[in-house]
Amino acid sequence: MSLDTTESGSNHASGPSGRPARSENPSRRAERRAIVGLLSPFAILFLLFYIVPICYAFVRSFFVTTRKGAFGPAEDAWGGLSNYGQALKDPALIASVGRVLLFGFIQVPAMLVIALTFALLLDSRSARFKRFFRLTYFVPYAVPVVIGAIVWGFLFTPGLGPVADLIPIDFLGNTWVLWSIAIIVTWTYAGYNMLIMYSNLQAIDQDIYEAARIDGANAWQTALRIKIPLIRDSVILTGVFSIIGTLQLFAEPQVLRSISTSISSTYTPNLLAFTAASGNAYNYAAAVSFLLAMATAVLSFVFLRLTQRWENS
Amino acid sequence: MKLSFWSWVPGIDDAVDLWNAQHPKVQVELNTVPGGNQGTYQNLSNALKAGNEPDLAQIEYDTLPSFRLQQGLRDISHCLKTDTGDQFFDFAWKQVTFGNTGVYAIPQDTGPMAMFYRKDLFEKYGVEVPKTWAQFAAVAEAVHKQDPTVQITHFPQRDTGWFAGLASQNGARWAQIDGDKWLVNIDDAPTEEVAKYWQNLIDRGLVANMQGFSQQWNKALADGKLLTWVSAVWGNATLASNVPTTSGKWALAPMPTWKDGEHTAANWGGSSTAVLRGSDHPYEAAQFALWLNTDPDSLKLLNQNGGLYPATRAGLDLPFLKQPSQFYGGQHIFDVFAQAADNVDPDFIWSPTMTQTYASLADGFGAALGGDSTLSEALVGAQEDTITAMRLQALEVEPK
Repeated sequence: MSLDTTESGSNHASGPSGRPARSENPSRRAERRAIVGLLSPFAILFLLFYIVPICYAFVRSFFVTTRKGAFGPAEDAWGGLSNYGQALKDPALIASVGRVLLFGFIQVPAMLVIALTFALLLDSRSARFKRFFRLTYFVPYAVPVVIGAIVWGFLFTPGLGPVADLIPIDFLGNTWVLWSIAIIVTWTYAGYNMLIMYSNLQAIDQDIYEAARIDGANAWQTALRIKIPLIRDSVILTGVFSIIGTLQLFAEPQVLRSISTSISSTYTPNLLAFTAASGNAYNYAAAVSFLLAMATAVLSFVFLRLTQRWENS
Repeated sequence: MKLSFWSWVPGIDDAVDLWNAQHPKVQVELNTVPGGNQGTYQNLSNALKAGNEPDLAQIEYDTLPSFRLQQGLRDISHCLKTDTGDQFFDFAWKQVTFGNTGVYAIPQDTGPMAMFYRKDLFEKYGVEVPKTWAQFAAVAEAVHKQDPTVQITHFPQRDTGWFAGLASQNGARWAQIDGDKWLVNIDDAPTEEVAKYWQNLIDRGLVANMQGFSQQWNKALADGKLLTWVSAVWGNATLASNVPTTSGKWALAPMPTWKDGEHTAANWGGSSTAVLRGSDHPYEAAQFALWLNTDPDSLKLLNQNGGLYPATRAGLDLPFLKQPSQFYGGQHIFDVFAQAADNVDPDFIWSPTMTQTYASLADGFGAALGGDSTLSEALVGAQEDTITAMRLQALEVEPK
């Protein structure tokens, strides 16, 4: 179906003839078909594997299980908000949310500052080997998250990795393991965020810099007063991405769990939902997932509102 | 006729091929899957929900109740002779019959426990092989005093099945069925005694804080920093493959007991072959499951390829389990395990929510190893979390 519409969309110049329509109509209709055709592969998959499961989970989250007997068959019954009530007073969930919030407050700003610094350095007039460094910064993002976490796990293990042997910190212990995860996440995503900011810097009209130079601005002033304000949209965008990513933290702690004794099965909200689902508490896991999605939306919204002030100033 | 079968035993395809060659009319199609807790149980639960489960699947004993609760297991008692159970070890048969309410799987292998120890290093430090847990603690102290980098063993935070084995050795009853009701008692007195014992070793720094089966653990074993591993029969292959450089230096002794002179042992792990709800051919599936786990040729293949230790008494007399093991200095290690298998408490049963119990225990153990809590508190937490999990499954449950 999508192929058909794309084809008819591509030959819009010779639109269907012999119809009493205004001259621009066929081409506009073809354009609309082209839009539908080009969007539909994404839209269908998005609908099937994203929207439909989310709606299903949303419905499930209102059901509870009932049964009779030590091994009786399960039946679903309407439970209203009881799963949500249970989740909100689950101390493990509250602790996990607190943990990722603490993580986010430190890791997200640190990572964005690193990304912004890299982007500005690459964009500066005195930068050398730009292609090489751009690629180097970005390479960690191309490493699958699980592989990256395994490699870092080795580096953090005393007796095996140089990091743990050089720095006398128990990277996998109770106190530091959260920040070891922060190091992995920063390593993975700083280059990715740098690329978004750097592309935005590249799109800035060079005349602006020339004007600044004529006005006597040095490189520092250009970066702070001109470049950063001009790319604030991409800084905000990477901020929102990072907040969402933080709340969904899963792969890194899940991988490190097999080598650290300090990461619980409810370490992050996503791990908690995963643990609940693997214990067949699907309805409860659905409720937790929904709370998490709502919290992510609220936090992203608050962040956008806060940054809007910066934009308006 | 085609039967589908999910299993993760390495090399089980040879046994399946043998069955297929001998039974041209009942062909088994093997699907090699990841280990149960590495995703297969989840897939199996989902398959049961979707109604496209295989005819047969490998399920570990501690997860059988969970699948029975999901109505996933078929009662195959009418497909078997009434004396089928007599050939299996009592403790294994009890796991698949749920108090004589049917036969829900065929026992495949068991994991009787014993103590692997470094014979060379025991001699070097001049310590005796401990017979009781009290002696084990004394050895732990003695070797650590001589070399502070050496510890008797590690406390495995996530191997909660290991801890369950130790608790059962002391007579724990984590779960019992009382009519329609479940009685749950994870922090009972025997378990509490085990927890206090290990907490004491942790507090004194006598056991290592590292994950079992990790690279760090392998290295500590290879470097002679850990002297023992109280583990199941399948652990013999783990050591041989993870620390090949220590070949010939290990030996095996019965696991320490709580009282001097008693022979109590425990079981860690082991699987069954279950016929699943939707099978169109439960009779043939049951015959295959029985053959797979009792036929001498099949048992030999399962042992040689996958290291499985038979769940049948006759299986332990097979010639390949009478061979000396070079890795263990020529010792007949399977004799020690055979003795252990006779001394496993048959009345320790699993709750249907072991996934959550294990997760909660592991979380609590992690906190205890981190110094924030104690193993006893971990038991209390696991007791509460298990009751919550069972109530989420709408089971009638009572703390006992």
